[in-house]
Amino acid sequence: MNTWPVELTLDNCIKCTICVTACPVAAVTDRFPGPKYEGPQAARFRHAGQPTPDHSVDYCSGCRVCNMVCPTGVRIAEINARARASMVAQGALSWRTRLRNNVLARPETLGRWGYRVAPLLNALLHSTWARAAAHVLLGIDRRAPLPTLVREPFTMWFHGRPTPRGAKRRVIYFHGCSTQYYEPRVGRAAVRLLEAHGFEVIVPPQTCCGLPLLSNGEFEAARALYRDNVRRLVGYARQGYPIVGTSTSCTLTLKEEAPELLDIHDDDARLLAERTFDLSEFLVSLAEEGESTPVDLQPVARRALYHAPCQYRAHRLGAPSLELLRRIPELDLVESRADCCGIAGTYGFKREKYDIAMRVGRPLFDQVRESGVSVVICDSETCRWQLAHATGVPAVHPVELLAKAYGV
Amino acid sequence: MRPRVDVLVIGAGLAGLMAAWQAAVAGCRVRVITRGPGALFWHAGCVDVLGYAAQDTERPVAAPRDALLHLVNANPAHPYARVGLEGVETALSALQQVCEAAGYPLRGDLSHNWLLPSAVGAFRPTCLAPETMVSGDLARRDPLLIVGFEGMLDFYPELVADNLAEQERPARSVRLDLPSLRERRQLTPVTLAQLFEAPEFRRQVAEALRPKLGRAARVGFPAVLGVHRPLEVKQDLEAKLGREVFEIPTLPPSVPGMRLYTILVEAVRQAGGDVFTGMEAVRAEAENGRVQAVFTEAAARLNPHRAHAFVLATGGLLGGGIVADADGHLREVILGLPVQGPESQTKWFRQEFLASEDHPVYAAGVAVDERFRPVGAKGVPLYTNLFVAGMTLAGDDVIRRRALDGVAVATGYAVGQHAARSVQEAMR
Ligand code: SF4
Ligand code: SF4
Repeated sequence: MNTWPVELTLDNCIKCTICVTACPVAAVTDRFPGPKYEGPQAARFRHAGQPTPDHSVDYCSGCRVCNMVCPTGVRIAEINARARASMVAQGALSWRTRLRNNVLARPETLGRWGYRVAPLLNALLHSTWARAAAHVLLGIDRRAPLPTLVREPFTMWFHGRPTPRGAKRRVIYFHGCSTQYYEPRVGRAAVRLLEAHGFEVIVPPQTCCGLPLLSNGEFEAARALYRDNVRRLVGYARQGYPIVGTSTSCTLTLKEEAPELLDIHDDDARLLAERTFDLSEFLVSLAEEGESTPVDLQPVARRALYHAPCQYRAHRLGAPSLELLRRIPELDLVESRADCCGIAGTYGFKREKYDIAMRVGRPLFDQVRESGVSVVICDSETCRWQLAHATGVPAVHPVELLAKAYGV
Repeated sequence: MRPRVDVLVIGAGLAGLMAAWQAAVAGCRVRVITRGPGALFWHAGCVDVLGYAAQDTERPVAAPRDALLHLVNANPAHPYARVGLEGVETALSALQQVCEAAGYPLRGDLSHNWLLPSAVGAFRPTCLAPETMVSGDLARRDPLLIVGFEGMLDFYPELVADNLAEQERPARSVRLDLPSLRERRQLTPVTLAQLFEAPEFRRQVAEALRPKLGRAARVGFPAVLGVHRPLEVKQDLEAKLGREVFEIPTLPPSVPGMRLYTILVEAVRQAGGDVFTGMEAVRAEAENGRVQAVFTEAAARLNPHRAHAFVLATGGLLGGGIVADADGHLREVILGLPVQGPESQTKWFRQEFLASEDHPVYAAGVAVDERFRPVGAKGVPLYTNLFVAGMTLAGDDVIRRRALDGVAVATGYAVGQHAARSVQEAMR
């Protein structure tokens, strides 16, 4: 719903430096001078067809905290993402870095083949020597929280079960790569919850949303994936079905990131964006339309910390997940006060950025430890992995606790 | 449609946060939405209630209570008149209490204005000032030492000291070039404030400063003495230097303003409310004389916020709540409320930029009834559940009057209660 083209917003900058004081990366490293300098200021020196002058923009994690605090609506994170893309296009990153970035940014490629040999592959990928090799040769930090592949991808479970009957309305579920190959439990909970609300859930063929590629400046590869998803999903959007996702970064990409960064503003892209919802956003809107929860929520007697990931706040919806979680009886909720956990998608996996990411997340990690919670709740997959890795406290998606409260 | 909140507050400056806090304390489910946390990040962290009276714009007001009394009698449409003197007092002491509870006391009351140095060494009349600033009072004439830091953006101790000396306050300046600062690429006020939280950094500062103290009775720092525990920082420095220490507000981002922001946001949250940034309100929907929903810009579509009552605290012309069209016509941006003010652009300003009279455009704003609801031409409220607070209100050039914060605090406080009452009425 942005009315301004990204590049034009830089003229709105009044140099107040508020973004610099909010940027979690600039706060912990001198390698990154901060959003004001990288965004609206450096953008004046970047011209089409000329070499990009400053490479420190690659240290922007894309967390969008700056966008959220800028009083004049400068779209700093997008300006930075485009600057990174022109660095990539101009060959300013070494082939090794790009290879590493591409390995990290294509979770689907590994997942699609890997699940068949999951135990073997997991053992291999998580072994000390493989991590050491990836660390040295590729630049994937040996300490970073790599997820574990499952043997039964989400869609295998989904298509392998009998279709529940009697639903009066339909919803399309966008699972994303992580639910498909690493955390199908999130998708299972989402499907059960939607079915409890009387929906028939449809899971059409889909590809990676392309966000990891976008945030690594690999715009052309991302464009192909995004186009593919539009082609596969727009028909449902046209029929008026809501397209609901549990990964906040996938839904944000379909809603806004991809069309905006890639400058794809045709009718199909717009239609898909308008019909895409985050699951909590969707459930809250049902309640707002006067629908009551189909069942009495059962108590979940736990103390839990909820952290709204950057990519969720960037939807600019407030905190719908929190609104839902607050309805669960006996759930003792602690709210995160931190802006970012540090991982920012693929950022914290990179050797040169791992320490920065851990420093960014420190206030949040401390809060998790000090609050004595037994579980962390977060809508975004890489953030969950980072939080569990840094604190040792297990991390779940809100829908998992909701499913428990719904008794499904 | 079932509203998810009782009161929606648009704007998170002093007015919006006071309103949100009061409504939440009264038992309402409150949500604050704001584009960026702007206003308070620009804020000196003091509460100016009335610095200059209309009848004498040259000399600062010494005792705000008397001047206020005069003001509200002379101008019954003034926001202060709508709140009443007692209301102003209650609101100020509520703010003082919440700050005190957060370990950050605001000193002062309506019987007296402080005269504190500004970032350029001018005299700033203000009613409530954080404890970290009051030793800078220029009613006193004992010698001052103004400290700056090499590499810090936008703070010039020489300028402050020279200007103070010119106004017969003996002052010297010193700039510290600390090795631990040289390696930092940028020194924003916030970076420095974070550094000051560390005892080791304070030790370095005190050590560098001690030989330069001379006859100074008090030492003025830019307002960067810690983010979370400024009192502790101040007291520690005083012990180390053997002198009184005070802060001088800086250019934005302003740490004392951010402290107030944090305290008030926390107060809203403690009372069960939510505060969301990055949300720009763009339009509203009304039916039967009631606002039903306000829409904010969000990814892919507009996001509706339904509520029983709405508070407009969007900062008027300063905060972007009121804008001018190309033809100079002033417009309230969210609901298109009528704006009272000069009808054509040629009447916005007086001939001289630094004229001693007010520029008419700065008094522009939304006219309200006694419950702070915007009114149409006949004085009848346009919506029964919409309340306006702070800079958006018509009635005075609060900037020139140095009354911006007092009006925000007092009207915000009052509006929070009006909004809560209107929710209770709607529920009945
Ligand atoms: S997106 Fe995040 S890391 Fe990048 S400049 Fe903005 S706040 Fe800093
Ligand atoms: S917050 Fe916005 S206006 Fe302020 S310096 Fe940053 S980009 Fe510019």
